[in-house]
Amino acid sequence: MTATVTTPAARGGRRPTKKALVPWLFLAPGLLLALVFKFWPMAKGVWLSFFDVRPFLGDRWTGLDNYTRVLTDHRFQDAIGHTLVLGIGQSLGAIVLGFVLALLLEGQARLLKIVRTAVFLPAVTATAVVGELWRLMYYPTSDGLLNSGLNLFGLGPVQFLDNPDLALWSTMAMGIWIWAPYNMVIIMAGLAGVDRSLYEAAAMDGVSLWQRLRYVTLPAIRPALGIVLTLAAIRGLRVFTEVYVLTGGGPAGSTEVWMTRAYTLGFTRNDIGGASAASVVLLCVTLLLTVTVNYFRKRGDVR
Amino acid sequence: MGDRRRSRRLAAVLAVTGLAFTTAACGTGSGGSGDDPNTLEVWTRSNPDSAATYGRVFATFTKKTGIKVDYQPVINFDQQLQSRASTKDLPDVMINDTALMGSYQSQGLLKAVDPDSIAGHDQITAKSWASTVGIDGKHYGIPYSRQAQTLMIRKDWLRKLGIEAPTTWQEMLDVAKAFATRDPDGDGKADTYGMVVPGSAQNGYAAWWGSSFLWQGGAKIVEPDGQGTYKPAMDSAAAVNTVTWMKDNLFCGDNAVTQPGALTAITSTATNFQDGNAGMYMTGPYNITTFDQTLGKDKYEVVPAPAGPAGGDVLADGENVYFGAKTGKTKQEQELAAFLISPEGQKIAMTGENQPVVRIPVNSTLDAAAVRDDPRWSVVQKAYEDASQQFPNAPDFAPIKQDTADSLNAIFTYCGGDVRSQLKELNETLAGDLKDQDLLK
Repeated sequence: MTATVTTPAARGGRRPTKKALVPWLFLAPGLLLALVFKFWPMAKGVWLSFFDVRPFLGDRWTGLDNYTRVLTDHRFQDAIGHTLVLGIGQSLGAIVLGFVLALLLEGQARLLKIVRTAVFLPAVTATAVVGELWRLMYYPTSDGLLNSGLNLFGLGPVQFLDNPDLALWSTMAMGIWIWAPYNMVIIMAGLAGVDRSLYEAAAMDGVSLWQRLRYVTLPAIRPALGIVLTLAAIRGLRVFTEVYVLTGGGPAGSTEVWMTRAYTLGFTRNDIGGASAASVVLLCVTLLLTVTVNYFRKRGDVR
Repeated sequence: MGDRRRSRRLAAVLAVTGLAFTTAACGTGSGGSGDDPNTLEVWTRSNPDSAATYGRVFATFTKKTGIKVDYQPVINFDQQLQSRASTKDLPDVMINDTALMGSYQSQGLLKAVDPDSIAGHDQITAKSWASTVGIDGKHYGIPYSRQAQTLMIRKDWLRKLGIEAPTTWQEMLDVAKAFATRDPDGDGKADTYGMVVPGSAQNGYAAWWGSSFLWQGGAKIVEPDGQGTYKPAMDSAAAVNTVTWMKDNLFCGDNAVTQPGALTAITSTATNFQDGNAGMYMTGPYNITTFDQTLGKDKYEVVPAPAGPAGGDVLADGENVYFGAKTGKTKQEQELAAFLISPEGQKIAMTGENQPVVRIPVNSTLDAAAVRDDPRWSVVQKAYEDASQQFPNAPDFAPIKQDTADSLNAIFTYCGGDVRSQLKELNETLAGDLKDQDLLK
């Protein structure tokens, strides 16, 4: 690795250097944008998390004060619980549903293409718009779409969002609906790579459908599942828009997640230092989770 | 050798990035008008409709004085302002809520104002000026517009059911129940509700809407002790009684008294009054234009809020003109402020086809109902002058409002809870908020 990099330079002369610069030039715009809009603000966020932030009066160094405050705040502790429940439920639900959809909609037929496009729509619609739509669907009287459906069976009306015991699950259902098609596409790409002859061989051996899934399909789409799982884990932790639009964290904080809490801290209470600390904690947990998932994925691949 | 070349390359990349960053920072920071001494950058928290009214005000100002205005209507004002503050480059002039003054001042965002330096300052009443005094006794804003909550009520429904507009809490409950159960719109379906409540804790709505009830019940959120410090007062008997009354009658009793989804509703999603399926809405007069357009002027009337056991005080609010800290255009800013509070400036902002941005004029030579030729505004003006209270302007009220809203929302959501102990807990939280600001007695 080192040898291949240093060889052209070691040989000297201008041409190889120029050649080495070309990829950097192509990368430059993206790097610049990332640096200005991503890494610099991120670094600044980490820096601010150690201060009582008062731009015009001078920031006051408070050390780890913000972190202790955030981590001991019972609202943040509740928010961790909600984030985990929502993140895990939403991720698993969306993966299972995405897998089922992928199995059902895999194939070449023209009609399938149309259905696939239709099914994919939630993933390309802005989350805020989806949230507004679901607010209408969840409308808590028999006029609401879902409640009028329940009404046909003599049930309801259900307070989907105003019942603190139900609100988190209602939010989760919307999350699954949004993210399942996204997972479907990745899993489908995985399915396309499955060796057909394996299915034929399995059919010859007369195995059941379940065994076929378990021993042929699942191992084959393992890499795709790994990607889906990593993305879902990250997404699950930084969930914000769905909750903010649908319930605003309410009622009674029953759907408050880590990000909505950080947002309230930063922008309603003007506590930028505390909000930064909360975001840094989230960043660390996300990094840790990503690394862990990757570690297990690689170990699984080797095995 | 190879390493040195690489590090030189890296240095070049960094230099270029650094350069690009500085330009980008300048581009986003100054808003393009930072250098011209004859141009003021002005921000208001406005949607496009009210921005059109502001646009006319500033156009007249520029025509009269030659001072240009780089006007930015900003919808998510607070977020934008915080990010501008972090680059230490604020707009020259801002017009925003009175209740935010303490918050801005505590962050050092505002320049102190000497009332005498604003031409026409004597046309603003002492009561209005008093509401812009900060924690250190200096003025940090110039009153621009005032308002107070009133009750908007469907008069066609009242007429149909043969009942009167309520003047007490009990009558209000009776009317709400009648609206919910006696089919006031005559379509044979139970699809009407008594009153609209933006009861979410998001942005502190529950505290904003609930504060009028608290005052009417004789309760206060925090109380000044006259020496510049405050004490929390949400554990008082009056607060317990009032919150219990609200919980039992509005949220945990017959649920058609409030609109469906009240506990997660913010003002932008609580549209039941203008949609025509709720009969009462206690809110500010800025909604009058909207209701006239969506519901129709003939369908509803504006009446004083029903009184509670301790009177009929409602939440008064409004906007102030603020000068951003650290800009060198004081003279131009003072001229703009003088125009904004002048009878001419206020009149333009009160009339026209778009949403008016001055509700009750701060200029005492003007009368809201006369300027608009609309007697409903005298109800609002009377409520502001005779029966209104404001959130304290000196402390940073944002955390206090948010904590109160969180607590009220939780009390109204869980009907089985014990109000007294929940309010006691809130009181301790509020004490902590005041202590953070060194304002706790």
